[in-house]
Order: sequence, then C-alpha cells, then structure tokens
Amino acid sequence: MKSAITIDLEKMSRTANIGIVLLLGFFGLAGYFVSFYFHFLTVAFLLVVLLNLYWRHGQTSHALLANFGFMAQFRYIVESVGPELRQYLFASDTEERPFSRVERAEVYRKAKGIDSSAAFGSLLEFDRTEMKLRHSFYPVDKDAIEPFDVAVGAARGLDTTYHIKHPIMISAMSYGALGENAVRALARGAKQAGAAMNTGEGGFPKYHLMEGCDLIFQMGTAKFGVRDEDGRLDESKLAALAARDEVKMVEVKLSQGAKPGKGGMLPKEKITAEIAELRGVPLGKDVISPAHHVECTDATSTVEFIGRIQRVSGLPTGIKFCLGRTDEFRAMVQEMKRQETVPDFITVDGAEGGTGAAPKSFMDDFGLPLFEGLRMVDRILREEGVRDQLVIFASGKLISPGKQMKALSLGADVTYSARGFLLALGCIQALQCNRNTCPVGITTHRAHLQKGLDIDDKARRVANYIEALHHDHVDLLAATGKSSARQLAEENVYLPSRAAASPSGQERT
Amino acid sequence: MTHPKLTYAAQGIAAMLLLLAAGMKFMGQPRSVAIFVSLDMDPAGRYLIAVIELAAALLLLSPFAALGSVVAVGVMCGAIIAHVTRLGLVVNNDGGMLVGMLVVVLLCASYVLFSRRKEIPLVGDTL
Repeated sequence: MKSAITIDLEKMSRTANIGIVLLLGFFGLAGYFVSFYFHFLTVAFLLVVLLNLYWRHGQTSHALLANFGFMAQFRYIVESVGPELRQYLFASDTEERPFSRVERAEVYRKAKGIDSSAAFGSLLEFDRTEMKLRHSFYPVDKDAIEPFDVAVGAARGLDTTYHIKHPIMISAMSYGALGENAVRALARGAKQAGAAMNTGEGGFPKYHLMEGCDLIFQMGTAKFGVRDEDGRLDESKLAALAARDEVKMVEVKLSQGAKPGKGGMLPKEKITAEIAELRGVPLGKDVISPAHHVECTDATSTVEFIGRIQRVSGLPTGIKFCLGRTDEFRAMVQEMKRQETVPDFITVDGAEGGTGAAPKSFMDDFGLPLFEGLRMVDRILREEGVRDQLVIFASGKLISPGKQMKALSLGADVTYSARGFLLALGCIQALQCNRNTCPVGITTHRAHLQKGLDIDDKARRVANYIEALHHDHVDLLAATGKSSARQLAEENVYLPSRAAASPSGQERT
Repeated sequence: MTHPKLTYAAQGIAAMLLLLAAGMKFMGQPRSVAIFVSLDMDPAGRYLIAVIELAAALLLLSPFAALGSVVAVGVMCGAIIAHVTRLGLVVNNDGGMLVGMLVVVLLCASYVLFSRRKEIPLVGDTL
C-alpha cells in the first residue's frame, strides 16, 4: 500500500530537472523587466542547467546522473561524508576496524595518564571464541615480580648485548611514512621512558637519532641507507651506522604482515632531495623494493646473509617476518644450526597488517595471524633446540596490556606495537596514512597539518603509554601467579579453538 | 586536445582583461559609469561586478584557476545578457570594442574551464 507521505525520489528528481529550467526563465524575465540584479541568479541557473544537460545527455560514465540529473549528486555528497558520520555517530563502540572505539579509548587514556578502568561490565561479547588469559588461584605479590629484563645477544656473549627493560617497544615506522614531528615525538617519548624504538626501513634514521633514544635499525629488502647503487648491501655504511651509540640492534626485514611476500615501489614523485640522501637512492627515478633481499634466495644464502650482518654490525641482529610456510621456516632453522648462525632475535609479525600501505589482497589474504604464527615459530624453535639462543619479538595489533600478555604467553619475549603508538600520538583512525592528508599530522609531510602535533606534548603521551603498559603488565603478571614474564606459557591462555573443536563444547585441557 | 601552455596563456589573457575591466569600474571611468547607470546599477552594482571580476582574475592566476574560470564565464554571461537585452553591441561608439573584449575573455575562460574541468570543486570528478 502506498503511504501518503512516501517520497518518490524519481518523481522529485524529474520535477527538479524541469524546475531549474523554469527558474532560469523566471529569473531571466525578472532581470529584464524588474531589475538587472536578477541576472545574477539567471547566470547561476544557466550554469546549473548546462551542467545538468551534460550530466543527463552528454556523459555515459555515471548512470545515476544520467537518469536523474543533478539531484543524484546528493548521493555522492552524502556518501563522501559517510566514513566520518559513521565514526562520529553511528558505529558502535566495539565494531570499528582495525581498532574499535573501546580499544582506542584505552590507549588514549593511558597516553593522557588518566584512569582507564571501566564500569558495569565489559562491552565485548563473550561467546567462547575469544582468547582469554588464565589467572591463578595464587596470585603473586606485586613486589615479588622481577624487573623486566630481556637480554638480546647474550647467547652469543656479545659485548653489545642489549637489555630490553620494557615489555613493549615501538615498532618499525620510517621517516617518510611518518612526518618529522611524529618521528621526533615518538623518539623523544621512547627516550623519556627508556624504551627501544625501531627505525623502520626508511634509510639513515636522521630524525630518530635526534632525540637520543635506543634504536633498532631496520634493513628492508631495498636496504635503504646501507645500499650500493644496485641495491646490494654496502658493508661500510652498515658498519658506520652500527657504530653509533644510539643504534643497539639490527633487524633484517624478510617480510612484513601488511604485505607478506610482496615488495614495493617508491615512486619518483615522493623522492625529495632529503629522502634521496637518507635512503641512498638517485633522484628522479622510481626505486623498487624487491620482494626479497637479492642476497637471499634460499635457506643457505639467507642464513649466510644473517651471519654477514652479525659480523659487519657487531650488534645483536635479528630477522623479521610474517610466517607463511612452516616447512620453510623449519628448514631455515635447521640451516641455522648447520651453519651455527642463529639470529639474536626473531620478530614475528602477524598478518593483521600494520601501517604499511599494501594491495588489499595482500593485506587481507596472505600470511598467518600473529598468535598462530607465534606459537608455530616458538614450537619449531623449541623442537629444533635453539629456542634459548634467541629472543622472540611479536607484533600485530598488540595495543593493550591483555593482548601483549597473550603474546608473551604464546612464545614472545617482548612485544612491538606501531599503531598503538600512533594512537598515543593522537591518531583518530582516519585511514588516510597513504594519502599525505593525515588530519592529525602524523603520516603527512605537509607543514600545516604537522603544526598541530606538538613534539613535547605528544612525547609525554608516548612515555605515559609505555609506562602505563608496563604498570599493567606487572598487574597482569601478578594475577597469573608468575613472578617473571619468562615463566609465562601456553597454560596461561585459554585457546578457544580447542573448545570449539570439542563435540560437547567443553574445553579439553 | 588541450595543451598546458595554451591553458596558461588563456588564463593569463583572461585574467589581464578582467583586471583591466575591474580597474576601470573601480576608478569610475565615465564609460563604465554610463553603462551601469543605464542598467540602474550604479554605483553599488558596478563595485560588486568589479569585485567579482577581480576575484575571478586572481583565482585564474592561482592554483584554483578552475574555480576562477567558472566565475569568469559567469560574469561574462551576465555581461552578454546586458549587451543583448539593454546596451546593444556598440556602446559609446566604440565600434564593438567592449563586446569584442568580452568575447575574448569568454572564449579564454571557457577554454580554461574545459581543460581544467576535472579540477572544479565538488563536480569535477564527474566531468
């Protein structure tokens, strides 16, 4: 039945298309007979009518405009503000991706140093598909918790062994991806809290170095900053960089969670004189990041390459990857044992993505999720008997203390976060990281957008976030009944897959 | 179909003539006063049009040239309406000079409008 107040959009648009022509005539007459001033409207409507004629009869690529004329524009206009409206008004507190408002709010509160407790129950739905931490009947006194200390490189007895003092580190984000202010605020915050920060693969870490925090130099497949003209390793450059006081470790990136198995391209338009200098690439030419290091074509050459970096840098050296095939990883570990070259750490990146821009299929469909990949890496290393010779870092959406604790229980020794720290810097999840239009001045190089990012203020927030995470880490650890993060194991986590696989729905342990 | 150099040249010519026209109106040159008197718009309408012409000229010389060309085309359409309906093609015995200039600006601005149509705010994507 047709209701009396139905709005017939088709009829309305047809009326509107005729209406503007009638108005054009009306204003033309008024301009002629009443006052010439009416011709301002005549001209405006003339332009609209001409545009509308083009939309309806002159173009073929927009069906809505061809069928309904200018009224169809309202659809495009309203649609264009959809993401903002959904985020402000309509999306529930728990449904946004990659991070829901509840998750983001926790980071914001920690960064601002305000109480992040909640009341009247959790906002999450519990249906036995989520992973939970298991507490103990016998929590440990907080004073009995050992200070967090993970030594990287100790197994090789290096003089340069690095002691990690916080369970969380700032993950790889390069200058280039982030603007200058964002990098400096992160580095200053890391310095204040005494945490380590990864430089990302963006070449010589000029802005990271400015604040004097401990750095993990990341070498991507294009080896920005330590490459020769052909993109091979330039040992002298790496040695010079590793000799700097601030650089504590070297991370060789084999792949990353945002686009495992895929390289990248730095288009020549983005290569400014400064970027060219920092990355060691020519001006005016596209630069390819290959999908793998040119030196690494199989397990043997990869392990040789790791050994070479260890020798040249003299620093604790590790590899980062998102796990794909476990058989390949096991073969690589066996090769490590054969060559007696074990990396000092392994960073397991979850396929949950990250800050890197990537083709959608690579982001969505490749690589193992963090927790699964982490367990497999940990298990294979244990089975091959090299687990105690290295340290595992984990990264992939670990922005809350609970998630970090789960990663630590499933095999990680230290956790990494990138986006957690972007949120601490004031990220509002506008999802424009790859467009140079970041509204809060983080992933942009435009001066007027970076203006709002005060380095001192945001550095404090970064430090607050690190300290709050560490504080919560101690709380959570005490509840598990363990006095050191080293003692955490799979028994501290409830893994729902087991319950789901059980016919009775009961958990088997 | 369009050439960047030609577009810049058209922007320059249109902007220069618009500045000239706006200047004459601002300074109250007798001929333009006479025109606006016969349109019953002097002096407010004269200044208003001068301001719009000035804005169009400056926009044509800025990165927002597409917007400037829309404004310029609009003003010129208005001027054509005035000449056709009230003033006639020959004003003050100038042998059609004024209308000639007007047509030049209209053609230049139209060319800019066409070659930069993708840059027009809001609707550019559909053109």
